[in-house]
Amino acid sequence: MTTEIKTTDNGAVQLAFDADTGIATLTMAMEGGHNKINESFGVGLEQAIGWALAQEGLKGIILASAHRDWCVGADIDMLYGERDAAALYERVRRLQLGYRQLETCGVPVVAALTGSALGGGYELALSCHRRIALDDARIQLGLPEVSLGVIPGAGGCLRLPRLIGVQPAMEIIAAGQMGLKRAPKAAAMGMVDELCDGPEALRAAAEKWIADNPSARQPWDEKGFSFPPPAPGTEAARDLMTGVCAFINKRTAGAYLAPQVAARAVYEGGMINIDRALEVEARLFVNLAVGDQCKDMIRTLWYHKNAADKHEGLPHAEEQGIQKVGILGAGMMGAALGWVCARSGYDVVLKDIKQEQVDAARAHCEKLTAKGAKHLDDAGRAELLGRINVTLELEDLRGCDLIIEAVFEDIGLKHRVTKEIEPLLAEDAIWASNTSALPITDLAQASAHPERFIGLHFFSPVEKMPLLEIITGEETDERTLGRCLAFTRQIKKTPIVVGDSYAFYTSRVFSSYLMEAVQLLAEGHEPALIEWAARAAGMVVGPLQVFDEVTLSLVRHAMEAGKEYVGDKPDYAPGAELLCKLVDEHERHGKAAGKGFYDYEGGKRRGFWPGLGDLTPEVPAETGNELLGQRLLMMQCCEAVRCVEEGVIKRPRDAEVGGIFGIGFAPNTGGPLSYLDRMGIPEAVELLSTYADKYGPRYTPPKLLVDMAEKGETFFDKV
Amino acid sequence: MAEAYIFDAVRTPRGVGKDKGGLHTVRPVDLLGVALKALQRRNGFDTAEVEDMAMGCVTQTGEQGTCIARFAGLEAGYHYKAPAYTVNRFCASGLQAVNLAAAQVAAGWADLVVAGGVESMSRVKMGSDVGAMFDAATQLRIGSVPQGISADLLATLRGISRDDVDRFALQSQQRAVAAMERGSFDRSVVPVRDESGLPILEKDEYPRPDSSLEGLSGLKASFEMMGVQFGLDAMTRKVYPEVDRINHVHTAGNSSGIVDGAAALLLGSKEKGEALGLKPRARVVSAVSTGDEPLLMLTGPLPATRLALDKAGMQLSDVDLFEVNEAFAAVTLTYLQEFDLSDDRVNVNGGSIALGHPLGATGAVLLNTLLDVLEEQDKSVGLVTLCIGGGMGTATIIERV
Repeated sequence: MTTEIKTTDNGAVQLAFDADTGIATLTMAMEGGHNKINESFGVGLEQAIGWALAQEGLKGIILASAHRDWCVGADIDMLYGERDAAALYERVRRLQLGYRQLETCGVPVVAALTGSALGGGYELALSCHRRIALDDARIQLGLPEVSLGVIPGAGGCLRLPRLIGVQPAMEIIAAGQMGLKRAPKAAAMGMVDELCDGPEALRAAAEKWIADNPSARQPWDEKGFSFPPPAPGTEAARDLMTGVCAFINKRTAGAYLAPQVAARAVYEGGMINIDRALEVEARLFVNLAVGDQCKDMIRTLWYHKNAADKHEGLPHAEEQGIQKVGILGAGMMGAALGWVCARSGYDVVLKDIKQEQVDAARAHCEKLTAKGAKHLDDAGRAELLGRINVTLELEDLRGCDLIIEAVFEDIGLKHRVTKEIEPLLAEDAIWASNTSALPITDLAQASAHPERFIGLHFFSPVEKMPLLEIITGEETDERTLGRCLAFTRQIKKTPIVVGDSYAFYTSRVFSSYLMEAVQLLAEGHEPALIEWAARAAGMVVGPLQVFDEVTLSLVRHAMEAGKEYVGDKPDYAPGAELLCKLVDEHERHGKAAGKGFYDYEGGKRRGFWPGLGDLTPEVPAETGNELLGQRLLMMQCCEAVRCVEEGVIKRPRDAEVGGIFGIGFAPNTGGPLSYLDRMGIPEAVELLSTYADKYGPRYTPPKLLVDMAEKGETFFDKV
Repeated sequence: MAEAYIFDAVRTPRGVGKDKGGLHTVRPVDLLGVALKALQRRNGFDTAEVEDMAMGCVTQTGEQGTCIARFAGLEAGYHYKAPAYTVNRFCASGLQAVNLAAAQVAAGWADLVVAGGVESMSRVKMGSDVGAMFDAATQLRIGSVPQGISADLLATLRGISRDDVDRFALQSQQRAVAAMERGSFDRSVVPVRDESGLPILEKDEYPRPDSSLEGLSGLKASFEMMGVQFGLDAMTRKVYPEVDRINHVHTAGNSSGIVDGAAALLLGSKEKGEALGLKPRARVVSAVSTGDEPLLMLTGPLPATRLALDKAGMQLSDVDLFEVNEAFAAVTLTYLQEFDLSDDRVNVNGGSIALGHPLGATGAVLLNTLLDVLEEQDKSVGLVTLCIGGGMGTATIIERV
């Protein structure tokens, strides 16, 4: 029988006490449908704990949520705006001490995880004595902080390793967003203690655990506690920590602070008792949180990404009107694209002109289903595959609402298929080209309905890459764009919407990265240095490695094709010449051929092709990690600014989201425009001018940037 | 022979050496780094020109293992060309490090050296490196008792009473507190801050301004139980058969404090100093170590002082001020008694009883405080000496220039 129900003064937590069982249930019920950690949360939690402890006959506390999620972690607005280390430290300490009070309150506390517990939310769950979750794969648990450039700051770096061991904890924390676990997996790893089938069963399990464990304390508060081995500071942990650091270094090349600091927090925090370790964690957290990298990452990876996902400032179509999607060209890309559409409920016709492609596409879809649809049963998988019609028959395309053309990058061919197939389509159908470069306006010339002609540029592998670059041609209408955005949402991609130009946005910036790398090579810089300099600057993949993956011959072809649109770029001549020589004279086509900048054996990289040295001059006097990293980033930034200048980029956020999620531009910088902001626009102009003098006019600072420098403008508001 | 000059000296505040202490959250390598960074910042030398670094550290295990001097240098941003090594001469390690550095300069083998020491006693427990001292064979053949037993034996042999040691302890507290209030330590103590610049510990936190004789005299003798009940007192009979009963006078209040701390000094040749525009604060006149009977253990400062004076060609009266490590009150009282010194020449700003004794750092810390007080009182010659585990003594004489 519940004797008392009320809420905290600020309404953040509902309070209930059952005098029969002696259990106080504190239900987080913050405004806005999410339990977020902010000032109001902290005050509410403190008051709620105080209230519970004041109840006569208190035997235990259940921490519950009134919302779908349990608690989604820190209020990012609060974090983003804070530059004052002392103020933030005080707030973090207060939160930590609140959590600490909970776990040392003298009665058992159970986290009733009926929804996801993320970041500070999961840290709250870790501060409970028992974590019981619903057996539901939709529930996610973990510590995504490093993905936003910070570390867990409310004990997560301390309690998780004490609970499940240093290595698994480190893997989860360092992986950030990618380290989140679904409830069943989390239970298997010890991140939650128990799973229940429904809310009633969960409640009963929580009550039973409280009854069975009247004097619950955290393991780390017991005398003689030791870590699940190996414990930090022991001989056995020596190799482990070396391994952890090596792993982090390999993944981040030192460019990202947060995973490194997380390792410090876990290790240092493991050397002393938890009360003092919390201070260490708080200091490390604060230092990252007030720093530039965190701000830049949050701005792009949180605000801009969310704005893109919400289609902020973009047209909305009343009706999507897309059910049947036809994909022309059933190569790897087409097949994966078809599968992604089918997964999201579309009927898919995957059309090719070669039987072997049809067979390969079918096999690829089956492989993707086996790997990527584990949540489905056999019938569900069969149904999914059943929605994909892989065919040679043109007629099967009849009635399609959306065509995504993914045939060879040849404007004549593309025009032909448009003319041939358009008449078969549903009335009001949209024609989209997956071209990565050819101007949409030019392609649309073959269409009877250029207002319903658009570019949908996907990234490979489609099932993994989150970005979709949408290109509007001169005549593409708003409604078509709106319908495509609805389609984008249904297939769960993040859109950027850019204007028409040769290679649009992402391909332009990406090719500037590749071409600058081959240019550096032609200048005589060491290939290994080029690769590492790029990684150390934050680029996700080194340029020569990714060049091989894209294939040199493709870039060479695009370079020729591009001349028609952008003319010759004379100062690229040495790089372009080297590329042609590699492809034409030495048959270095790339990874698929087993021969590119690297040699390959069985698809695995085996070091640089030794012949590279014979084709390139002596190492120039001026070289080095910093210079090459800076040049590779600045070249891309320069191209991004030109895209803004030409109106290809209409919203600066698209430059950042497209750069990071499309082509692996250094996420630690927040994107190419953020990088310039951080450097200072006048400083960037000066550096580009120096580069232009030394390395060629492609570095000439765009007028827009020069004007911005004069007016003291930045791309984004400063924090 | 070239002469070794001290250009500058810095130290961290000393934090209580327990898990509640102000420096407990700081890794020892960072703690030493604080002193090294401050030394460089204050003097602006190019660290690539540092030809050696000698750092005292006693418990060289756990976080203080693997040559902490080297990693502290690198972590503090010193150039990798500046080599470093870690010295263990128990409680005199920090002073030994300075002496070795000075010797390198005096020999003409180095022109710019850094010396100092570190001990985080809250994180790396005293004795956690175990070693021969605690081995049964060594115990039985050589004999060694806990230092507190030796200190109480010393008091007994010298006729030092519980009242004497408590009064001395009170004086140490009063002097330290007065010195802090006067700002006497401000020139040398550098605050410990985190990477955001937020304070971790800014001032010495061990002294107790509220100390009183009543309070001190009420404390339990720390070594009585182990001495009497565990029979450790009797272990001393091997050498001191005449001592029938040890008078256990030492308590937590009149023994040195267990603390965390670090210190660093910049030394070099006159020419190097001139080239770098560094003004010497003092020159090292003599630096010696010697041994004494190991069971009594704590009398090393007496022969070490005589030897240091002898090597310097000086008399006791030539020395203006002394720093005699207050490992235990009886050590310094013995020193005063032996040399018939007025106590206004010894530990005038308090000592390890009030401020704490971060084992491997203390020697360098005391040289710091000696320099401060020589300058404060505008005196010329000072002597630092420490008693040492295993029955040794180290002493250094400096002269302001």
